[in-house]
Amino acid sequence: MSTDRAFWKDRRFRMLALAAAAAAFLLAVTVLGSVWHDAALETDFSRKNLAPCLKYPFGTDWMGRDMFARTVAGLSLSIRLGILTACVSAAIAFVLGLSAAVMGRFADGAVTMMIDLVMGIPHILLLVLISYACGKGFKGVVIGVSLTHWASLARLIRGEVLQLKASPYVKIAEKLGKGKLYIAFRHMAPNLFPQFITGLILLFPHAILHEASVTFLGFGLSPEQPAIGVILSESMNHLAMGRWWLALFPGLFLVASVLLFHYIGQTVCRLIDPGSVHE
Amino acid sequence: MKMKQMLKKAASLALVAVLAAGLAGCGQKTEAELPEKAEENLPEKTAETAEKDSVVVVMGPSSEPEAGFDPAYGWGAGEHVHEPLIQSTLTVTDADLKIGYDLATDMSVSDDGLVWTVKIRDGVKFTDGEPLTAEDVAFTYNTLRDTSSVNDFTMLDEAVAADASTVEFHLNRPYSIWPYTMAITGIVPKHAYGPDYGSDPIGSGRYIMKQWDRGQQVIFEANPDYYGEAPKMKRVTVLFMEEDAAYAAACSGQVDLAYTSAAYSDQTVDGFSLAAYPTVDNRGFNLPAVAAGETDENGVPLGNDFTCDVNVRRAINLAIDREAMIANVLNGYGTAAYSVCDKMPWYNPQAETPHDPDTANALLDEAGWLTGADGIREKDGVRAAFILLYPTGDSVRQALAEETANQLSEFGIDVTVEGVGWDTAYDRAQSTPLMWGWGAHTPMELYNIYHTKPGGKYAQYSPYRNEEVDRLMDEALASPSLEDSYELWKQAQWNGSTGITQEGDLPWVWLVNIDHLYWVKDGLKVADQKPHPHGHGWSIVNNVDQWTWQ
Repeated sequence: MSTDRAFWKDRRFRMLALAAAAAAFLLAVTVLGSVWHDAALETDFSRKNLAPCLKYPFGTDWMGRDMFARTVAGLSLSIRLGILTACVSAAIAFVLGLSAAVMGRFADGAVTMMIDLVMGIPHILLLVLISYACGKGFKGVVIGVSLTHWASLARLIRGEVLQLKASPYVKIAEKLGKGKLYIAFRHMAPNLFPQFITGLILLFPHAILHEASVTFLGFGLSPEQPAIGVILSESMNHLAMGRWWLALFPGLFLVASVLLFHYIGQTVCRLIDPGSVHE
Repeated sequence: MKMKQMLKKAASLALVAVLAAGLAGCGQKTEAELPEKAEENLPEKTAETAEKDSVVVVMGPSSEPEAGFDPAYGWGAGEHVHEPLIQSTLTVTDADLKIGYDLATDMSVSDDGLVWTVKIRDGVKFTDGEPLTAEDVAFTYNTLRDTSSVNDFTMLDEAVAADASTVEFHLNRPYSIWPYTMAITGIVPKHAYGPDYGSDPIGSGRYIMKQWDRGQQVIFEANPDYYGEAPKMKRVTVLFMEEDAAYAAACSGQVDLAYTSAAYSDQTVDGFSLAAYPTVDNRGFNLPAVAAGETDENGVPLGNDFTCDVNVRRAINLAIDREAMIANVLNGYGTAAYSVCDKMPWYNPQAETPHDPDTANALLDEAGWLTGADGIREKDGVRAAFILLYPTGDSVRQALAEETANQLSEFGIDVTVEGVGWDTAYDRAQSTPLMWGWGAHTPMELYNIYHTKPGGKYAQYSPYRNEEVDRLMDEALASPSLEDSYELWKQAQWNGSTGITQEGDLPWVWLVNIDHLYWVKDGLKVADQKPHPHGHGWSIVNNVDQWTWQ
């Protein structure tokens, strides 16, 4: 038996390879989409309303725009927005979660209240409110999406920190006279890492779906821009005329990328924190 | 937990996508199934059509008058003018958009143009049995002067009933086109007018409003006591539906006439034919005619450094291939537009400009706009580029903007298309071209677009000012007769030396008049339509009383 096959038999390796492939696919979509942004805006009335064919695998719409380029560009926008959201949310969640646990009861109360406040308002409503207040458009969507996703991750991290705080080795460190910050970064952060990374990756699907919803509802980008929500809401007007390809492929692509992110998140979680599988 | 939620969400999305695809598939199937269904219903239908004198019409949801059927809140005399059906008007516009009489039997104007005297018909009754007198007419106009927010009645000082059948309109400035205002103003009863009038209107017109289910339908029945020719259609039902629902309703044969748009024009509906009615419902964009730098009193920036060059504006007008635009965007259902008032009695045909790419290029070259390294012209550091705005949600204007951008790119002009909401569109249009839609049955529209705003520095919608144009329009309004005023309106467009046409200042470029499209059930004979104004709504039923079934 060759080592290659042994490697392939190793479940760990298989998961890693599949996750890497998924990540590569998403990365390719992101890069291609940014490159194709202009192509996605291009109209050509000589090729309007074409069903999917070899040249235009996703067909064209009523202004002769290439739906493949539009879909990929739209997804690319979603993913890039997802990255930004994930980073912003993760940073907020990490700081708040940690400070809640470390800075004493008052800080903990304040953070818990903020988390409850944000989670208490229906997410999509909060998103619409924030993006509207920030002047709609691209800026509004970016700010709205990135400022509303930190709450669940912050709650998760706060819970973990509280648990760690009660654990013997942290107590011992305290008894040894180590400072709170030292304990937080030296002893707690490494233990939080698996949850943190998993939570961060699992923010992507949320952010992507919410970006799609908010642009679908018309609070986001101007209709000539390629965004998945814009594409889907436009396609609604053309379904009655039998132009199924306008909704089907972008919709499937959206679902596929959400599932891929979900898969990557789960895989990473299992790889770096195998114990969680048995919880 | 969290992951499970996520999975659920993803799964439901997948379901939506599959459903969407399924729906589309179904759509095609039902079309194929329809003929059978229609045949099944046939025996019943023929029995009905033997005496059929009712019609079901579908309009867009925005056609439903929010404030009801009250002229003071825009019924008939609103943003989109039409005949008010329930109420009578003093005058009417005929097929050529000249003035005829409805309630009026005679009208005259004083030499200074300030007093209009109108004689009205005797023996006209409101549908509650009360007679219609000059009192009611005066009351209507005075009420509209005080309350109408959608139409301009500021020129009216007071309407006075001189006797039972004579009404005098005292104006504060000469307004020769007053008869066009009279053609859209439905007369309401003084004795039965109040806050609820809109939902429970009483008039003296051809129809009585029987029932109004908000958000769904309005049912009209013929007025048995109507003073004119009795309506042939005894019952008119108007449904309000989105475009795709209207199409589906036509497909299922449940309606007799349904509005549609060019996007649907390549479809076929069994038992229906597609009717296209010519309009003055035009689309065009403004080109700010002053250089950037100024702001108005509210701080809104005015002007545009590229479009302030008259040669640029003329070149753009020559560069636009209107026929290609109509074929590409409107599937052929439209006519080339050269002004805001094509085909109207006050239209100056001098505005017509042929598509001439060579002259357009030559004009730009001569004016110093030379092609730069990236293929885009420039002059003194200014790039030949502009943003073309369109109102979001209007796919036809979006497509026209894109087509304009495509056509102008061949002339080295870089046009970026951008969607904009009406909340900011008016302000942005002061410095950035916007894709507008206009077209009304009154020359006042020329005034609104091209005349300097009273008390302002420039015209209202796009910065432009020409004193000679202003003077001619003022003169047209002060003209003692309507016939003479037509001539002056024409001169205001082009008088041989200045104006707003190709040879003149050209602060607006007009592209197309959009045909209003309808699915019409076989057998329904829709009476001849006068050119519809802007607004794809009530104009179609202006003469529903003369429609017949064959």
